Amino acid sequence: MKMKHMKLVAVVMLGGLILAGCKKKNTGEENEEELITTVKLTLTPVGGGSALVYSWKDVDGVGGNAPVIQTITLAPSKIYNCSVQFLNESVTPAEDITPEVVTEGTDHQVYYAVSGGANLTVAGFNTDGNGLPLGTTASFTTAAASTGTLKITLKHKPGVKAAGDLVTKGETDVEVDMPVVIQ
Amino acid sequence: MFQIIRTAFLLLFLLFLNTVAAQCTLALTGHVNDADTKEHLADAVVLIRELKLMQTTDKDGFYSFKGLCSGVYTLIVSHAGCITSEKHIHLKTDLETDIDLSHAVTELQEVVVQGKTTNNAASEIKGKALESTRGLSLAESIKKVSGVSVLQTGSNIYKPVIHGLHSNRVLILNNGVRQEGQQWGNEHAPEIDPFIANRISVIKGASAIRYGADAIAGVVLVEPKLLRHDPGIGGEVNTALFSNNRMGVLSAMLEGNSAKKPAFSWRVQGTVKRGGYARTPGYWLANSANEEYNFSAAAGWKKQDRGAEIFYSQFNTKLGIFAGSHIGNVTDLWNAILAKDPPDYIKNVAFSYNIDRPYQDIQHQLLKLKAWKNTGNIGRLNLVVSGQYNNRQEYDQKRFASSSNAPQLDLSIATGLTELVWDHFNTGDFRGTIGGSFMYQNNSYERRLFIPNYQSTNAGIFAIEKWTKNKLDLEAGVRFDRKSIYNTSDNGNVRDYPDRVFNNISGNIGFTYRFTTALRLLFNASTAWRAPQVNELYADGLHHGAARIEKGNAALQPERANNLALNIVFNNTNWDIDAGVYHKEINGFIFLEPTFPPELTIRGAFPAFRYTQTNARLSGFDFSAAYNFDAHFSSTVKASLLRAWDKTNKQWLIQMPADRYEAAVEYSLGNARKLNDTYFGINSTWVLQQTRVPSTGNIEVPGTTVKQSDYLNPPPAYLLIGIEAGTKLKWKHNNVSFILSVTNLMNKAYRDYMNSFRYFSDEMGRNISLRVRIPFELKHKHKS
Repeated sequence: MKMKHMKLVAVVMLGGLILAGCKKKNTGEENEEELITTVKLTLTPVGGGSALVYSWKDVDGVGGNAPVIQTITLAPSKIYNCSVQFLNESVTPAEDITPEVVTEGTDHQVYYAVSGGANLTVAGFNTDGNGLPLGTTASFTTAAASTGTLKITLKHKPGVKAAGDLVTKGETDVEVDMPVVIQ
Repeated sequence: MFQIIRTAFLLLFLLFLNTVAAQCTLALTGHVNDADTKEHLADAVVLIRELKLMQTTDKDGFYSFKGLCSGVYTLIVSHAGCITSEKHIHLKTDLETDIDLSHAVTELQEVVVQGKTTNNAASEIKGKALESTRGLSLAESIKKVSGVSVLQTGSNIYKPVIHGLHSNRVLILNNGVRQEGQQWGNEHAPEIDPFIANRISVIKGASAIRYGADAIAGVVLVEPKLLRHDPGIGGEVNTALFSNNRMGVLSAMLEGNSAKKPAFSWRVQGTVKRGGYARTPGYWLANSANEEYNFSAAAGWKKQDRGAEIFYSQFNTKLGIFAGSHIGNVTDLWNAILAKDPPDYIKNVAFSYNIDRPYQDIQHQLLKLKAWKNTGNIGRLNLVVSGQYNNRQEYDQKRFASSSNAPQLDLSIATGLTELVWDHFNTGDFRGTIGGSFMYQNNSYERRLFIPNYQSTNAGIFAIEKWTKNKLDLEAGVRFDRKSIYNTSDNGNVRDYPDRVFNNISGNIGFTYRFTTALRLLFNASTAWRAPQVNELYADGLHHGAARIEKGNAALQPERANNLALNIVFNNTNWDIDAGVYHKEINGFIFLEPTFPPELTIRGAFPAFRYTQTNARLSGFDFSAAYNFDAHFSSTVKASLLRAWDKTNKQWLIQMPADRYEAAVEYSLGNARKLNDTYFGINSTWVLQQTRVPSTGNIEVPGTTVKQSDYLNPPPAYLLIGIEAGTKLKWKHNNVSFILSVTNLMNKAYRDYMNSFRYFSDEMGRNISLRVRIPFELKHKHKS
């Protein structure tokens, strides 16, 4: 009798653990969502000169070590062609996520906001398939020497992107502040 | 001439006599039955209140009043061990009416119910009260109990809150088994189908040490009715339809008892639920649809002195999360808050039943085996063995259409639980329960790390004794638990999580003194402890729904709650009053403390929170009073008040329910030939603004240097009006019941402090619901 009880106990407890295997799992091994660790700006001066590269980097993701933030240093009264890249540098080789932003450009938009007195104007954005601004490339125009901050924001607006959208619309995928020095 | 007059007079006299006789020769008969087993109850007392006539049922549970006049009467039926029942009747012709009484004490929860009597006998939802919540979630079903509120995440996710505490501090017993899921999350609702229950009880306070030490806020018991005892096959179909989110719920139950093998009974039950977007008074809540599919099966074998029962249930739900709540970072959160209402592109979405990302997909399975055997005449030995499996998948918004379809969070927890207890009852003035339990748990995650993989065990032993003498009941209990968390290092060596072991003692002592049959005083003092949970120790990462970074604290120690509760209960024919005060000192109360500065990520800055401990004091007042003006009119008032103070930091505790008052008036028409128990009523709920919140915090208002404890001040007070009407239609031998109700009748736009989506959207607007319950008998041998 006692033995029988013990067997039942074992069977039911095992049963509970076997249930653990029951739930349907998604077919195929799928990867975790793209992680973005790095925002990289490549600034090519119009009219010649070597390209400048500045980045905002948090390779270990949320938590852990603090991000490494470079200062964007530009010459006064010049025009630069800017191209922005979103990278996952937590893997080797680093993964470039920018092509996906461009491919699904009708759902995304990159915004640039200058604050703190830097004499910098950002315009000339490239466009998505619907002719709306995308902003993975832009034109930076500097004026007199000054300092300030550039905020770069990547917004995700599936199905709702429209002309004249403010930066407040949609969900933020990336939002970084980089110091700007014009000298 | 004289002859004629005399004849006429005589005729008139006879006519008069006849009329009088017609009025006062009515008979009222019937049986008093056990609501669970349908057995006839002998020695039940049936009282006609208006006539002060009393009868005791015979050995077949039969009662009979003769020579009654037509009129409206109130029957009050009581029986030892049962809950006294009242029934309004309209007597016009001879009437046969049966009365079902519910057990005050079930076989299953003998001792818990003792705990209940030292607390609050009225904190039960059953019968009509339960029927009027059918189709709602478990937490919504019990929020009518004073002292109980709900913690909400939008219109789909509800968690029960008892005296301001929730999650791991509230223990939920699903058919006698501790519910073990990922209870720690504010947006993790209990995975239970309330349709399995015919009674949901709330034990407030920490006095119920029977099922574990950690329930320092209280226990919610979800109790199915006992398996069928009389031969035959029967069941019921429940439907509920809701206008607001166009939700339909269908639940069916079939049960039987074999005529050839009377020891064997069985039951199967299933529920299907589907609702679309909920609607606030101004707009649809995009993506707030929900689906649920549940089923359960039970079989039992019962002899005079022994029995066994097997129960399996599965709960599946998919819950859409309101699109306007999904935010990328704190800037988005502030944009949403400052805009007050969701943006137009979310508000203008049309109604749908579709569930898109973000959503939750949850499954819970329970397998339970119970066996019992009487130990002579003095007691009973019970063995319960159960296995549970919970899987929670959370799907966030995808970044690209081409991104993986996998969930971002995927947590599985498997639990095995064994419990052996001995109940003794025929032992002089003493009765009680002695036993032990052992639990094993294995938690694993895939995808994003929020809590680590771990295994844990919990072993406990306890003894609870009750002594009854004359007008006094004394109760005392003690429990020892040892909890171990281990194998926490099995996480790909990403981070280091130490193993932990906790052990400690909890206990309670209480008494009930019955001054008269109507007036009782109940007192309870208890001490309980709760070990820190894995999320409190080791959580690390972004809590997406809450837009904050939560960090565990490996140095946490168990929290200890010392409780005092005093209740005065008064019930007679007109009054039903329960007034209780409670006082809880929680040393080492674990909570999320804001830390400064906010943490910088590539998505922007997030406020950071870290689990920490303080000494807290929670005291409050629960009140409910019902008064019957006459056989038709009755009214109820309720109040729930709580003051929660952080003694160390000398400020109020955040996220505590505001004061709540409720009032209701009901008019019952009593019984007619075809329609029984017809009633209609109006009710109101008044929730005040929570003004007791911490005065400082680390959340910076954009564009200022002001630091506050919350993004937004608690929403203003609100008053909601509702109406409800119900009746029972006699159909064959059963009553088909209908309940029509309207909540938020005035379609008021309001927000509630206990809803984490108060930042983004209003609450649900007017909701009209119709509930129909159809009991049926397929095979029934009538006792003639």
